[in-house]
Formats: sequence, structure tokens, C-alpha cells
Amino acid sequence: MPIIEFKNFSFRFANLREPTLNNLNFQIKEGEKVLIAGASGSGKSTLMHCINGIVPFAHSGELKGELVVSGIKPYNQNIFEISKKAGTILQDQDSQFIGLTVGEDVAFIQENNNINPEIMKKKVYESLQSVQMQKFIDQSPYELSGGQKQSVSLAGILSSGTDILLFDEPLANLDPASGKKVIELIDELHKKYRKTIIIIEHRIEDVLERNIDRLIVIDKGRIKANEKPDTVLKQDILRKYGLREPLYIEALKHFSIDLKIINNIHDINSCKNPEVKKTLSTKKIIYKKNNNYKKRQLLLSVQNINFSYDRKGRQILKNVSFELDKGEIISILGNNGAGKSTLSNIITGILKPDSGTINLSGKDITAAGIKEIGQKIGYVMQNPNHMIVKNMIKDEVCLGLNAYRYDKNFIEERYLKTVKTCGLYGYRNWPVSSLSYGQKKRVTIASILALDPKVVVLDEPTAGQDYRTYTEIMDFISRLTEKGIGIILITHDMHLALEYTTRSIVLSNGKIIGNDKPSKILSNEKIVAKANLKETSLSRLSGILELEDKEEFIQNFIETEKGVRAVE
Amino acid sequence: MSKYGTLYIEGNSFFHRLAPSIKFIIFILWSITVFMSLDLRLSLALLAIGIIFLFFAEIPFRIIKNLFAVVIIFNIINAVFILLISPEFGAELTGQKTRLCSVLGFPVLMETLFYVITISLKYLSLLPMALILIFSTHPTRFASSLNKIGIPYKIAYTFNIIFRYIPEIQNEFKIISQAQAARGLSYGKDEKSLIKRMKNIFSITIPLLNTSLERIDKITNAMELREFGKYKKRSWYNESKISRKDLLVLIAAMFLFTAAVYHRLTLDSWFWYPFK
Repeated sequence: MPIIEFKNFSFRFANLREPTLNNLNFQIKEGEKVLIAGASGSGKSTLMHCINGIVPFAHSGELKGELVVSGIKPYNQNIFEISKKAGTILQDQDSQFIGLTVGEDVAFIQENNNINPEIMKKKVYESLQSVQMQKFIDQSPYELSGGQKQSVSLAGILSSGTDILLFDEPLANLDPASGKKVIELIDELHKKYRKTIIIIEHRIEDVLERNIDRLIVIDKGRIKANEKPDTVLKQDILRKYGLREPLYIEALKHFSIDLKIINNIHDINSCKNPEVKKTLSTKKIIYKKNNNYKKRQLLLSVQNINFSYDRKGRQILKNVSFELDKGEIISILGNNGAGKSTLSNIITGILKPDSGTINLSGKDITAAGIKEIGQKIGYVMQNPNHMIVKNMIKDEVCLGLNAYRYDKNFIEERYLKTVKTCGLYGYRNWPVSSLSYGQKKRVTIASILALDPKVVVLDEPTAGQDYRTYTEIMDFISRLTEKGIGIILITHDMHLALEYTTRSIVLSNGKIIGNDKPSKILSNEKIVAKANLKETSLSRLSGILELEDKEEFIQNFIETEKGVRAVE
Repeated sequence: MSKYGTLYIEGNSFFHRLAPSIKFIIFILWSITVFMSLDLRLSLALLAIGIIFLFFAEIPFRIIKNLFAVVIIFNIINAVFILLISPEFGAELTGQKTRLCSVLGFPVLMETLFYVITISLKYLSLLPMALILIFSTHPTRFASSLNKIGIPYKIAYTFNIIFRYIPEIQNEFKIISQAQAARGLSYGKDEKSLIKRMKNIFSITIPLLNTSLERIDKITNAMELREFGKYKKRSWYNESKISRKDLLVLIAAMFLFTAAVYHRLTLDSWFWYPFK
């Protein structure tokens, strides 16, 4: 008996010409756990919105065909009728947290159903118990980690007793270790309560940590695959539609291993196969060593930085020192609250350290004003919407130049050069609002590059982006180093650090606990555990297969991967 | 920002324990009393009482000092404008005209000056009570309490949301302005030209507005998906019951208010001017 059924279903937003969902036909059975994956703009969020009633009640448009959810047609009901059948956990944990405390937030649905406060309090406690959050009942959301917030939202939906749970990108904004916990929690609840679970995500590897019944791939509003995860993984479907395969599967494919010999490939442990081991340990790939960093030229030197927000308060940074060379890309890793953003604020001159020095090209800039530092060290925020001020690309890119009162001809020249470097030349007359997320990101980077900085600090440059945009943004950033710019990436994406950076600095509790090649850092179990990072599946694979040189295997694969992509 | 990321500051003072709806009613009565007349004695008395209350409400001075500064600056600007634009206003009110001196060719009347002082203190005497209401009241308990005295819950909940998100917007403003400052659009001391500084602050409002609108959309969806607005009534997890003590406070407040109204009715002019 299907609990959700799409029949020739199409949907077009009122303000768009093309339909976002195009003739969908599929079913989801009761108690199934389904992952719906797709690149940005594939229509996966719209699909979820059709199920929970956001479409057409909050976003209107034209519906065709039929959709049945638990016996009702959502678009013929009102949003409250649908809420009884399907509960949604949104990706933005901060704005979905409505209550002032954990208990109040879990109670929200019951309050709206006018449940007696005595009964409500009991129910709230029970639901929090089921996600092991009862201890936090009087805490405020500000004291919780992203993963804990996600658990609280889950408790809230559980208490309402709906049969279908919808997860809208539950892993976005979570650090890797918290993401892992959320996936485990979803799985436990699925086993315990036998609810129907639909997860929308593009971080496929993380979701597949636990068993999934079916993987549906959607692209341009059409279903491209609807099968058991193993079947999809063994083909080349994910890559084709702008999604990332699990890293260990990429590696297996890379070494031309016949995936048919591995049963249950979604489980990395099933790769423990003598034939696989033989191939991976004998087949050496010869790669050219990256020669860019032979001639080291010191660019930025940060020495013994200490910082606390107030004298009595906790020390946020403790004796932090590191160096950055010309043309180098380094990543700063660490869990939320480790001090990453404070450190980037100090480097960019927004905050002043209590003690320590910062030298740029041999000049002490510790005491320089933010305006002076801003010209040399650029800062790109995570969300481009936080940065963009002007409506036209040209105005935005030239904003800093105008603020520093450069000569008009000079500004024009610099502007043209920058938009060309950033691949925005063709769009230069477009309004910013008509650009995609990746393009907006480029605009913000361009507006910083226009000032000709020596160092660029980027905060989570690829957060929430699908593989296509991720590659686009990162390849572009990598190319900037050719001009000698030093780049610092603040991130908790392990893949990103591994693939694009030459060195990773790991912060934990305000201290640097590691500063080395990413492949080395990420195969060091101690550091990984301490910084709430997650071992990459590549390193896990080498552990499972008991390969001799773990680090070399990882480095090997990453280097050749880059080569492959450059040729493509 | 407090632990909850709201304006509310936890505490256990008399004002913290007072039922929010009663506190709100007292604030309304207080405001009516203030606006009923233009009496320097009353304003001074209310200001003094308010400051004593504020002291008892255990609200840290560092939080309220900026707000006091803003209101005082506003009052001074307001006073200067009154003196410049309608220098004769005091005379109209009292029927007397006593020229004190002249500043830059503008005559300054004693009556107008007295009026300006009175009105400034009048506004200022509202502030302590407003601060107590904002900083000692738990936002949801406030909402549930308003709902209890008959205000529709959708309106009551709006208060809750506003109180909750003001600090978040403040925080966002900080983050955005720092990033803008880093690319030369400073609104702080780095920028020497005051006009430029104002312009730069204005440019921050655009991304701030964008993200706020995004946020509103998300919150609305989140609330609707969790059945906000389903029934005419809703129950409250954080209820605050009105105790006998609260009622006694309310009765006392009503009594004082009635006395104030009675006193006002016995006066023949709403403006108190002692130098007749």
C-alpha cells in the first residue's frame, strides 16, 4: 500500500515559465526510508514542499496530475490537515526553532492543538526522552549544537504522532560528527517507530552511513533513478547529475575495480575483499608531484595570538601561531565553537588580539586599522546575501574601489580585469538578483579581488552547495593562487580540505592541535576525534583493507583525481 | 544578549515574578498618567519612582545606560527644535511672556524653556517602566499572559517573535557591518567623513533587509508547518497564572491611577507653571 503516490504530477511556479516538476510517477510505501537526491535547482525541495503543503499554500503555481499523501490530496486540503499526516524538519535549525527553550519548542504543535498544559508537559518530556535530550529541557537554543537542535526538532515532530517524517537537507550547516549523529538518530527512530521517512539531501555519502531502502535521483524536475542505493551506486548516475559519489566508491571506480564483485556496496565494510585489496595495493598510480611550493615565500605570519572577549571571560584563542606562503591554500578546521571565526576576524582586522603579532609580507600589521588591513587581506563571508549591497554587478565589484577613492580610469581598468578573471565578463550587465548562488559567490569574491588583496579569507565557501557548484567555486578559488594570492579557507568540510588545500590547521578549544598536510591530519585518529571531525571514507577504506601506507594512498588518489578532472 | 538570545534578562525580582499581563496593564496606566498632564512635579515623582523600581528590578546598569543616553539625546534634540521652531509656544500656554535672553538672535522665553524641560522629563519618566517591561518579562510568558486577558493569540505571539528576534537582527547587523568595513565601507572611527559614515550604514541595511525577509519567510513556514493558527484558541506551555498577589498589585495600581485621574480633573490647566 503506497503512503505517498505521484501520478503524472507536474508543478510550475506562478512566476516561472518552465515547470519545476515534470510528470513525476513514483510511489513510497508505508515504513520505507527513502533518500531523494538532486543538485541545486533539480526540484527536490519543491517536491518536498508539494508533500507538506508549502506548495501550493505558501508558494502558488500550477499543478497537474495527482498526488496522494496518506489518503488525502494535499492541494485540496489546508496546510493543517497535511501537518497531521506529514511532519517536516527544516534545514535551517535556527529559524525553525520557534520556542524560547527546548521544552517550549517541542510543545509548539501541541500548543497549537490546544492540548491541556498538564498532558502537554508529560508528552514533551517523553518525546525528548526518545531523542535523549530530556536533560536539555530548559536550555535555550543558543546553548545547543546544530545536531542537538536537529534532535529537538525531531522530538517536536514525534510528539505530534505523524506517520511521515520529511527531512529537508538535515545535514546542511552541521559539522561532520554532528551530521553523523543525526543520521544515526533518524535510523534508530525509523527502526523503533516504523515511520515513513523521506530525506532530501545531496550529501549522499553521509546519509548512506545508515541503511536506506531506496535512492531517488532527480534532475531538472524529472526522476532519473529510483532504485536500491546499491544499484544506483554501481552505475555512473550520481556524477552525471551533478552529485557526489561516496569518496570510497570514487576511489574504487578510479582503480577500475569491478563493482559487481561487491555486495552491499553502500556499506563501506563490504569492501573488505581480497581482490580489492590486491588491486589497491599493487596498482600504483604515478603522479607528478605538485611543484608549486618548492620556492617557499612567506606571506602571512601569525604569532602567539591570544584573545578573549572580556578580561574575565573564557579565552577563545590560546597562543595561536601559523604561517601562510604566497600562492598557498590552507584550511582551518575545527568544530563549531573551536575559535575558527574569531581567528578569521583577527586576521582580517575586525578584532584585535590581546597579545601576539600578525606580519604581512614582513610588515607588522597587528595595530593597523580595519580599513588598511581590508585592502590587503580580503574577507569573503559564507552567505553572499550578507555581502551584496548593490543591484548591479559593476557597482558591487567597484564598491570597495570607490570607497578607497581610486582614480576613475584605474577603477574601470581594474573592474574589467576582475570580471574577466572571475568569469563574470559575460554577465557584467546583469542585475545581481538574476544570478545563481555560485555566480553570486563569484561576485562577492570579485568585489574583494578588485582591491588586489594579498590574502583572501573565505568562510565556508561551499556550504550547502551541490557537487557541481562546489567544483565550480573551488576550481575558481584554486586558480587565484597562480597569481600568488594566499588563501585561507575556514571550513568543516573534510573533502574540501583534502582535495583543495595544501595544509590543514586544526583548532580545538582555541588551540592549534594539528598543522600538516590534510591527508596526514585526516588519517590521525586522535586529532580527528578531538576536533569533532570525521574520518573520510577514503581513510576508512584504507583501514578496512589494512593498506600499508594509509596516507600515501589518500594523497595518491586525491592528486590523480585532480588530474582527471582537469582533463575532463 | 542574554542566555536566551532575547532582550529578557533572567532574575527573581518582584517585577520578574509579577504576572506579565499585570505588568503590561501597569505600564499602560503609567503611560496614561504621564500623558494626561504636563506637570513637572508629577514627571519628577514618576521618574524617581521609576528609577527606584528599575533598581529593584535588578536590571544591570550597563544594559540600560545606552538606552537612557539615546532617550536623553533625543529629548535634547527635540527641545532644541521646539525652542527654534516655536519659541512662543510657552507664552501661548501660559499667557505670559518673560524674555530670558537671546541665543544667536533667537529669543528664549522662560515659559517655553520651562515647557521644554517639562516635556523632556515627561518622556523620560516613561522610560524606566518601559525598560522594566522589556527586560524583566519572559517573551512567551508575556504572550500567553496577554492572550489570557483577551488579546488574540496571533497578536500576542507577534510580541514574542519581535522580542525574540531583535537581538538576532542586532547580531546580524554587526556581522554584516564588519564584513563591509573590511572592504572599505566603515561606519566607525576609521571613516572620517560623517556623511560617508551615514551612507555606509545605509548600505548595510540592504543585505540586512534581505536576510531579514528571508528569515521571516522561513519562520512563517516553520510555524505553519507546525500548525500555528489552526484553532481559535491555543494552549501555552509557559503559562503564567495570575496569583492573589498579582491581583493585589493590580488593585493598588488602579487605586493610585484613579487618584491621579481625580487629581487631574480638579486642576484647571493641564500645564503646571509655578511662576505666575
